[in-house]
Amino acid sequence: MDSRVKEAVRYLGYGRHAVDEKTKGLVRDSFEELDRTVQGRLVYRIFELDVPDDGRVKIEDLEIASRNLAKNMKGCRRAVMLGATLGIQVDMLMKRYSLTDMTRALVLQACAAAALEEYLDEWQEKFKNEAAGEGYYLRPRFSPGYGDFDISHQKDFIRMLDSAKKIGLTMTDGCMLTPTKSVTAVIGMSREDIPCHKKGCEECKKTDCIYRRQ
Amino acid sequence: MILERLGKELLYFDGGTGTLLQEKGMKPGELPETWNLTHTEEMVDIHRQYFEAGSDIVLTNTFGANALKFHNTDYELEDIVAAAVVNVKEGAWMGVHDGREVYAALDIGPTGKLLKPMGDLDFEEAYDAFKEVARCGEEAGADLIHIETMSDTYEVKAAVLAAKENTSLPVFATMIFDEKGKLLTGGDIPSVVALLEGLRVDALGINCGMGPAQMIPLLEEILKYASVPVIVKPNAGLPKQKDGQVYYDVTPAEFAKIMREIAEMGASAVGGCCGTTPRHIRALVKKTEKLKSLSVREKRKAEDFTIVSSYGKAVILGEEPRIIGERINPTGKKKFKEALKNHDIDYILREGIAQQDAGAHILDVNVGLPDIDEPALMKETVTELQSVTSLPLQIDSVDVRALEAAMRIYNGKPMINSVNGKQESMDAVLPLIQKYGGVVVGLTLDEKGIPDTPEGRADIAGKIIEEAKKYGIQKKDIVIDVLAMTISSDPEGAKTTLAALRLVKERYGVCTVLGVSNISFGLPCRPAINSNFYTMALQAGLSAGIINPLSEDMMRSYDSFCALMNYDKNCERYIGRYAGQTNTAPAPKNEGITLRTAIEKGLKEEAHHLAGVLLAERKPLEIINEEMIPALDTVGKGFEKGTVFLPQLLMSADAAKIAFAVLKDAIKETGDTEQKRDKIVLATVKGDIHDIGKNIVKVLLQNYSFDVIDLGKDVAPEKIVETVIREDVKLAGLSALMTTTVASMEETIKKLREKKPDCKVMVGGAVLNQEYADMIGADFYGKDAMQSVYYAQKCFGRQEI
Repeated sequence: MDSRVKEAVRYLGYGRHAVDEKTKGLVRDSFEELDRTVQGRLVYRIFELDVPDDGRVKIEDLEIASRNLAKNMKGCRRAVMLGATLGIQVDMLMKRYSLTDMTRALVLQACAAAALEEYLDEWQEKFKNEAAGEGYYLRPRFSPGYGDFDISHQKDFIRMLDSAKKIGLTMTDGCMLTPTKSVTAVIGMSREDIPCHKKGCEECKKTDCIYRRQ
Repeated sequence: MILERLGKELLYFDGGTGTLLQEKGMKPGELPETWNLTHTEEMVDIHRQYFEAGSDIVLTNTFGANALKFHNTDYELEDIVAAAVVNVKEGAWMGVHDGREVYAALDIGPTGKLLKPMGDLDFEEAYDAFKEVARCGEEAGADLIHIETMSDTYEVKAAVLAAKENTSLPVFATMIFDEKGKLLTGGDIPSVVALLEGLRVDALGINCGMGPAQMIPLLEEILKYASVPVIVKPNAGLPKQKDGQVYYDVTPAEFAKIMREIAEMGASAVGGCCGTTPRHIRALVKKTEKLKSLSVREKRKAEDFTIVSSYGKAVILGEEPRIIGERINPTGKKKFKEALKNHDIDYILREGIAQQDAGAHILDVNVGLPDIDEPALMKETVTELQSVTSLPLQIDSVDVRALEAAMRIYNGKPMINSVNGKQESMDAVLPLIQKYGGVVVGLTLDEKGIPDTPEGRADIAGKIIEEAKKYGIQKKDIVIDVLAMTISSDPEGAKTTLAALRLVKERYGVCTVLGVSNISFGLPCRPAINSNFYTMALQAGLSAGIINPLSEDMMRSYDSFCALMNYDKNCERYIGRYAGQTNTAPAPKNEGITLRTAIEKGLKEEAHHLAGVLLAERKPLEIINEEMIPALDTVGKGFEKGTVFLPQLLMSADAAKIAFAVLKDAIKETGDTEQKRDKIVLATVKGDIHDIGKNIVKVLLQNYSFDVIDLGKDVAPEKIVETVIREDVKLAGLSALMTTTVASMEETIKKLREKKPDCKVMVGGAVLNQEYADMIGADFYGKDAMQSVYYAQKCFGRQEI
């Protein structure tokens, strides 16, 4: 199984268990459908960063109070803010399948989540090389809603990236990103290469989660 | 007056302001619009520079003013807009030295929010925001309204309507495309042009997003379809980043060079967007001096295309024949009528999806029944359909109020069914087309009925075309239906219709539609007559048949015609659809299994087949209780134990649903009354737009024969309470995904307790746990979908599994 299929299966709650053939077929079909109909879009900007030792992070005029984020960004001089979305076409497909084939709707939503992560990973890999050229190393992606990084900061991402205009990424009054298959994140850029955890899932304290990466 | 000059001479807009504002000291994060009041001198100076550079039209610094309504309370919108207009006029006074007439354009940008149903901003709410800005602008003395950088057809529609209905100013609208010529929301160029022309903007075009060079291929396409003047306002190239700063690097000289080419292609008004400066505009004006008068440029003439659109891809009539799906219509359909009466929108949506899958290009929508609030239902159906299908719709009603209600909120340029040659009909329908845009179906009948000669019908078509002209409706926006009369009562009926089809096309060059299946009314084996007549009509030049795309016979006629006439290149579609197909229906695989196993394994076809087989020997209720419920229980228990996973649970549910449908029909036929079912209301709470969990719970509850009233997502507490009271519901299920929306869940529970204390509340969703559920006062927390089924059974005193 390639990694995105593996991720999708994890989102479907299979844990360590083997996935049945029928579901696997659906996963494959759903990725094909997404590849055919969906176009990812991404916008990013690099900002000067200040991480004083008091649980705050300052990105240009934006001040974020989050110990988790501060820890993640410690020692970084710059930050990349980014936003990415798969667009409203995915939402429409999910709604459609919710009416005709709920299993497909469920699988599609898992695949879309995995596709979005993969899209971000691929971009980050490219960006990592660019940054390395300028002598910077990247920290893991960190998004509003992780740990104590307040979700209300979504609006700062949307404003500072001008993401509504650039990629059609907006949010609701309740700070939910629209289209729903969208991500905002910040990545610290540091002069030293500190070994970090690969990804966010293992970091989480909810160890009994059925979606946990094994 | 600007409209006297527009399209006759090349007009110049201004360029970007962002860079200039930064140079004058604006801080990141500051709202530029507030500078109209706090930095008047600087603003006037920027406008002055553009007028001096040669701009005829300068935009007010109000791009985000409508968004201020949402985000900023320190300033009055009215004051900002008024100051912005005055600043431009001041700039003109100081910067125009040659006495030329110049204009202050009220700039309106997007709200920055996504409209419903994908986002949470109401169409009418967006309209109101735009309305306020537009009104303030006119009061302050703006000369025109310029709506720009729109990436969503729905939002631009709200803005244009607001501007046109609340002011008497000229309205321009420009959109932001990507390099492939698509909007962020998926719309293509013909669909955007069709929408904006339909709304009667005075000029349309493209701005931002890319540099002048990248705009050339897009402009070419816009010019192909647009018959109104076209505006082009590129950035100074594609954005680049250095040290955290965004910059653009096309120089004034390069910019002017390419813009000259753009003017030569046929643009009527040019200027710049992000990264362009007064120097760019000055260079542009100089470089295009000799092109100022339109007569020295090549006179362009857009071809006449009959275009209908939704938010996505446009459908062009008149080339390859198109299919209009007829199935969303209660006429002669018992189940459909029942769905309308029960307000079962899902049923209607499934009819739409099925037709799209079968190959329809446009969907006819008719929801007319006696004793039904047709305008409200039409509006709701159209909105909902547009959230699951990107096909353009044909709004079909005899009720003019229903037509208008739907046309107003329709995303795109719809087809309207219909107007006819009666003066009364034309007086009622044509003004709607004039206002909202649309392609209208003209029926060839009038006060004297339906003429029985081709000439008589063509004459009425001519009358409709002439009358429409008075409203400024072009011929390309009229399609003629010459009407098919059944041959069982009119033996010459088919011949007359075919001759009339040819005649109207020959005489007026218009597109045609036809409700094909009327032809066989009263005859046996109707598909045979229908499909043959369909082929004959296509051969006579029919642009779009209104047919049942789920009919194999009709689709074979269509596919064969397209293959034969080389519309289907290399017979690709034909081969794709029919290769390997035999004439008999394939028997389901997995012979020899029971219904119980079919459901446990989630085999839909088999479940459908076996339910039918079992009905021959057993009663429906017996099958449900002895085969299906035990199967569902087994799967449910497996899910709890962790041996069955959610996709499998749902596959079983889907298989059971199909078997239930077979049994339900049987129950109705035998006259057995269905058991009265317990009602449960489900809703994803206000502010929350993630509803997949709720939808899963819905499918499972329906499986256990609960009557689920699904209120959807982002549902206000009041609506939930109101429904629970009206339907006397004893259990409500609420879902929420994030901490930010648990508050509205809590509020809903509080209101339910006050107004309907005997209604239990179960909650679920990613952010919830038992502790949280207790805190907000829920009766039950369902950690997964099966738990809610068990709790529902308990609530209604059913036996637990």
